[in-house]
Amino acid sequence: MLASVTSATLLGVDGQVVTVEVHIASGLPGYHVVGLPDPAVRESRERVRAALQSSDIAWPPTRITVNLAPGGVRKTGAGLDLAVAVGIQLASDTLPAGALDGIAVLGELGLDGTVRRVPGALALVAAVARAGCTTVVVPAHDAAEAALVPGVTVRVARDLAELRACLKGETPWPDPPPPPAPDDGDEPFDEPLDLADVRGLAWARRALEVAAAGGHHLLLAGPPGVGKTMLARRLVTIIPELTDTEALEVTRVHSAAGRSGHGLVRRPPFRSPHHTASVAALVGGGSGRPNPGEVTLAHHGILFLDELGEFPPRALDALRQPLEERAVWIARQPITLCFPADFVLVACTNPCPCGLGGPACVCGEGARARYRRRLSAPLLDRFDVRLSVGSPEPTDQPGESSASVRVRVDAAVARQRDRLAGTPWRRNAHVPAGALERLLPLSADALGALLVETEARRLTGRGGARVRRVARTLADLEGSTDVTAGHVAWAAQLREDVP
Amino acid sequence: MTGPPITPTDVTHTPNEVAAATLVCLPKMTPTRLRALIHHFGSPELALRAVAAGRLGPQSCDAGADVRRGWRDRADPVAMRRRLEARGTRVWLEGTDAYPIIDAVPDRPAVLLAEGARPEVFAAPRVAVVGTRGATPHGLADARELGLFLAGEGVTVVSGLAIGIDAAAHDGAIAAGGGVVGVVATGLDVTYPRRHAVLYDRVRARGMIVAERGFGVGPLPGLFPVRNRIIAALADVVVVVEATLKGGARITAQFALDYGRSVLAVPGSRRNPAAAGTNALIADGAHPLVEWSDVLVALGMTAAGTPRSSASPSRPAPTPKARALLDALGGEPANPDQLASRSGLSPQEVAVALAELERAGWTERAQGAIWPR
Repeated sequence: MLASVTSATLLGVDGQVVTVEVHIASGLPGYHVVGLPDPAVRESRERVRAALQSSDIAWPPTRITVNLAPGGVRKTGAGLDLAVAVGIQLASDTLPAGALDGIAVLGELGLDGTVRRVPGALALVAAVARAGCTTVVVPAHDAAEAALVPGVTVRVARDLAELRACLKGETPWPDPPPPPAPDDGDEPFDEPLDLADVRGLAWARRALEVAAAGGHHLLLAGPPGVGKTMLARRLVTIIPELTDTEALEVTRVHSAAGRSGHGLVRRPPFRSPHHTASVAALVGGGSGRPNPGEVTLAHHGILFLDELGEFPPRALDALRQPLEERAVWIARQPITLCFPADFVLVACTNPCPCGLGGPACVCGEGARARYRRRLSAPLLDRFDVRLSVGSPEPTDQPGESSASVRVRVDAAVARQRDRLAGTPWRRNAHVPAGALERLLPLSADALGALLVETEARRLTGRGGARVRRVARTLADLEGSTDVTAGHVAWAAQLREDVP
Repeated sequence: MTGPPITPTDVTHTPNEVAAATLVCLPKMTPTRLRALIHHFGSPELALRAVAAGRLGPQSCDAGADVRRGWRDRADPVAMRRRLEARGTRVWLEGTDAYPIIDAVPDRPAVLLAEGARPEVFAAPRVAVVGTRGATPHGLADARELGLFLAGEGVTVVSGLAIGIDAAAHDGAIAAGGGVVGVVATGLDVTYPRRHAVLYDRVRARGMIVAERGFGVGPLPGLFPVRNRIIAALADVVVVVEATLKGGARITAQFALDYGRSVLAVPGSRRNPAAAGTNALIADGAHPLVEWSDVLVALGMTAAGTPRSSASPSRPAPTPKARALLDALGGEPANPDQLASRSGLSPQEVAVALAELERAGWTERAQGAIWPR
């Protein structure tokens, strides 16, 4: 009269194993769910009952108690429906005992008995695999994602009647649907982008390469129409593919946000929220179940903030922690969730409200000062590369193509991987100040140049460390083993006081 | 700043001066009303007596009845005397020896209020240095150098204490220990812009601050063009360093021409919007200021055609690539992208050469561009 089925629910972007216990007892017919269900889980009764009846499976006219363990974790979404439906059949002895040993069940039910997709399948399957399940039953839509988890046999459930037959051994399990085409990430563009579209701007292009190769945050300032946004959007064409581990993480995050379910994400995400974005939309949060924000959706990719000065200062300052820690902690009674947020921040800004800047500016002094104050010094300090972009010269020719820049960036990334092998870091920008001496050593020449620049530009300790990392990336892009004084001078030049 | 402290014993006031200051500080007092009042009653003292007694008829000035009633309650020369003495404020009446503007200026203020440690700066030749608030680094450098130069020649620098050219000119003159006069549009007890509080103190210590408005008058937009006529009237020569086409500096220049003063303008690039006003002045007949000594010629202190050698700072000679960048700059601001395009150097070569030029003082970075110096 008692059955238990293993399933899982989402907690942030991670899976949490849930044991669905179903108890059937004599008494007045009724249905009770206990164990911190949210409304979607509580409503499962109606869905499960209709689905069972549509599939010609009897609804036991008894007292049914469903317990979701562990009791202290809030369960969200409709992904536990299928586990409850199977548990009821098991408890009412219409399925053979032991039919679900070592099998986890995920899926939402339609009233007609079809099994619908669940968000975060990758994280959920990974969680039940860690808990020792060797087989997992998933909706057909999520099969490709579930198959990314090693060591688990994936079974596909298309509808309740078929699943019942398969569990009884009456019919073979259906084949999983063919894997979909690899996901190209978000933000599809109408026309293919290429760096060759950008004329001139030799410096700004190199700054873009630095950001792509070394993971450095980049701020471009300049009047409207000179090509800041054009350039920044083309960053996607020169960043390297995700590694296997990164791809799994990105897929997990996107799936949990309900944004994917198309198999492994291979291209780094490119997120460009509008400047009206709220703090919660940017860094994550929201009432009830905290949702990942743009910084998490940009994990292992690029967060592009156009018109940085137009973002609410509160939202921008909320970026400081994720920029430093490469993760966001969201506290909600009674739990604190950690969302990964390892992204490269690329931002564009006008020099002042009128956008013209310099002598052409028509803004009042007060308006200009207010505009500058919107970008706090601590935020500006976190950009490794800051430069102003000017209008191209009339004689400028189309630039180097993305493909040829990409070759250089890939080589620079490979050099960093070799250098940083055995450390928790992947890019020059990630190396903490304490490890700079060991991992990014400078020649006496370059060290002298760094001292000169520190003196001349009154760099802070953090500023000096950032110049050092950028210098290393510049050297990596040139395929140079050593950082030269020239690289240091250049890196310092790429750290302008803007806007 | 050093300079003698202003103590109440430094300044004494005649009853006429106290009465004039009381009139200036009445609410809704304007230069026109003040002039009309004093003219109608013959002297500030008589005018104040009439105001206090409520004997102002509609024929004495254009102020309405309710404004005149308000004046009656505020006409308190005793309190004003205490205030003037506490602040060390001088009151200069038209027609007295201390009054610094010559009779030929038609709409000169009837009363000027002045504060500062060095009233003697009015004895020296005076040159107004004015320009836009949105100056380029070149303009700021020019204004400052001109201030330094004039101070070295014993010339008093007159300006408006505004952001940009004004502040740079004051700053240069003070740095060289010269005399300065700041003409403000507000009352003497108002600091505008507020961030210039230190500059105000320095100008007070090294010269004088002058106003035609009463205490407590704030920075209303209409006051500034009216104030500019005093700058023009106080100066023997007006130099416009950088001005936009519609700026207050051009208004000052226009007043100066009306008063028969020489106007000099620093020529600028066709591409520089902050030089459009000065170039237009030159096109209209103002003298181009090419050498600083041109100002002395205009003042009549030096004969024309004897330029003084201006000592240019000694800098290490640039390396060939740095030279190429200087050529690519061509005396105008540019950004690194443009320099890379024009010079044909690689981004790294540009970076290294730029670092060298900046260190040696050939260029500076400002407003998102590289400026030759």
